[in-house]
Amino acid sequence: MKAVGARFPRYDGLLHVTGRTRYVDDFKVPGMLWCRTLRSSIDSGRITRLDTSRAEALDGVYAVLTHEDPDRNVVGHLEDLGVPPDMPLLAEDEVRHKGQLIAAVAAESEERAQQAVDMIEVDYEERQPFLDIRKAFDPDQPQVTPDGNVYFYDPYDHCRVRKGDVDWAFEQADVIVKGCYRPQAIEQAPIETQAALAIPEADGKMTVHSTTQAMYFSMGIVAKFLGVSLNQIKFVGGTVGGGFGGKVDTAVEPIAALLARKARRPVKYRSTREEEFLALWTRAPWHIEIADAVSRDGWILGRRTLTLHDAGAYTGFSAYGAMKHLHHSAGAYTIPNVFMNSYVVYTNHVPTSAMRGFGVTSVSFAVETHMNRIAGELGISPWELRLKNGNRIGDLTPTRVKLEDPSTVPTILACADAAGVELPSEYAQMTPGERSGELLPEHLEDQLGKADAWRNR
Amino acid sequence: MRLMVNGAEQEVDSGPLASLLHVLREELDITSPKAGCQQGGCGACTVLVDGKPQRSCLTPLASVEGAMITTVEGLGDAGELTAVQQAFYAKYGAQCGYCTSGMMLAATALIDATNGDGVTRQEIEEVMGGHLCRCTGYVKIIEAVEAASRGETFDLEELRRAGTAGGEETMILDTGGQS
Repeated sequence: MKAVGARFPRYDGLLHVTGRTRYVDDFKVPGMLWCRTLRSSIDSGRITRLDTSRAEALDGVYAVLTHEDPDRNVVGHLEDLGVPPDMPLLAEDEVRHKGQLIAAVAAESEERAQQAVDMIEVDYEERQPFLDIRKAFDPDQPQVTPDGNVYFYDPYDHCRVRKGDVDWAFEQADVIVKGCYRPQAIEQAPIETQAALAIPEADGKMTVHSTTQAMYFSMGIVAKFLGVSLNQIKFVGGTVGGGFGGKVDTAVEPIAALLARKARRPVKYRSTREEEFLALWTRAPWHIEIADAVSRDGWILGRRTLTLHDAGAYTGFSAYGAMKHLHHSAGAYTIPNVFMNSYVVYTNHVPTSAMRGFGVTSVSFAVETHMNRIAGELGISPWELRLKNGNRIGDLTPTRVKLEDPSTVPTILACADAAGVELPSEYAQMTPGERSGELLPEHLEDQLGKADAWRNR
Repeated sequence: MRLMVNGAEQEVDSGPLASLLHVLREELDITSPKAGCQQGGCGACTVLVDGKPQRSCLTPLASVEGAMITTVEGLGDAGELTAVQQAFYAKYGAQCGYCTSGMMLAATALIDATNGDGVTRQEIEEVMGGHLCRCTGYVKIIEAVEAASRGETFDLEELRRAGTAGGEETMILDTGGQS
């Protein structure tokens, strides 16, 4: 081993410090046009009129794109996994969030493209928006989709994890500790905004320079909008000027490619900072409720959770994000009896997506804050509470994965060490080894057995 | 209109209200200043105007007629990096690289103005305060500027070797006694 533990200079560091790294926006080709977009100014409403004729007639404008141009206007990011596609690339008869794309222009300069966008006429019939996920189950609230405000995970309207006998746990409990946690939306805000340069080639193929974090994924999405097979598209990635999850959304590449096809000229679409904040997908706001059945001596016997995930106006990646979130709802701790639900809720917010630990950072924030709350209510050390309940070899996760090498105990011990916290020796010397003695209380003896009892009731 | 950019005189055609950022990137193909926000908020477009850092996205061309403009392309090329460039490379001050040009020029102006004498961490934080980075958390950047202000230099050949060499490799593959 010569690499582990060694310090390496950044492989692209010399390019960065000499200003020679070439990002998508640094590429320029002859005849290149610039893109600007028209986006919804309202949260929710019907489009009653869309007139692009004045924009099309403007000098220096080469193409104006509307919902009629893509081969398929509605492509689902997770449709190949069975999540129904629902989001139009360009709005047709309605808009469901402020900043939703309605039209795009390719012109000889950014200024000219913006002038053309300003000449597009659009009329709306505004509707009352739905913005508060906590009212997801109120039938009197405005309905975001024709199927209501909650995503349908066949066969339930939520994603669920059940293990053990949670009723037993709550009957046994000395204390029930409840908490509600609401991490808010965050824009990934990389310093490089999303950008794409699409070049129509002489043989009919399309070359796309992209800031994507997910080359093949983005390529597949663009192919679907264009209605072509993958071998008709060449994707060129490279150095991404920060992504943090926000560049998996393939927001600008389809627009640049469709405009390039229509204008028969290369088109660069460099989204503006306003578009990044207003219209491109963010980390979701979440509403997370946790109730734990806890014994006086610091064992978590059972947990009930309810999570509401704000998907924004369309499904996007949310069905996946809320599921991943749910599977982490016990955190790094062994809780044998759980009853956990997560719901994907549609609102008239901008659609939400990945950012640094998609779905998991939100639940980790909730779970770890909750651990401190439990320790506070019991009057015991939060370090000892975590070490006692932490995952060990042989423990089962809520989804019945048998843990072979859990790192909870060494991680917490390393944190205590870094924080200068002195732990009693029985905790300081703890290992992740299999449970025995004091660390094997009755409720953890058979981590599967109670599940059968629960099923047979 | 005439500009001095990185020591070379340039004749440019853009109108007097065109942004200096646009002139540099689109007319002169100098791409190290980045269009991060185009409203003065992020610092990625920073260049030196007569040695002082300035947001090129908010700088109309007419206001810099005859001025000396410096971008990262005018610092040092690989092999002859300035102390600031060396430190950003050696101390991991650049991650995705998009904010790096602006950061390095702000640091260069600070160190040139003070000769690096007695530059405190607080001064560095103040000068770099208007420059956003979403990758690093800023610690590595500030450490790089501190190193440069102390005049530290780095053996880049040594650094590059560290990235590729590692002495004799122990092979697991059985080569039948042949080496």
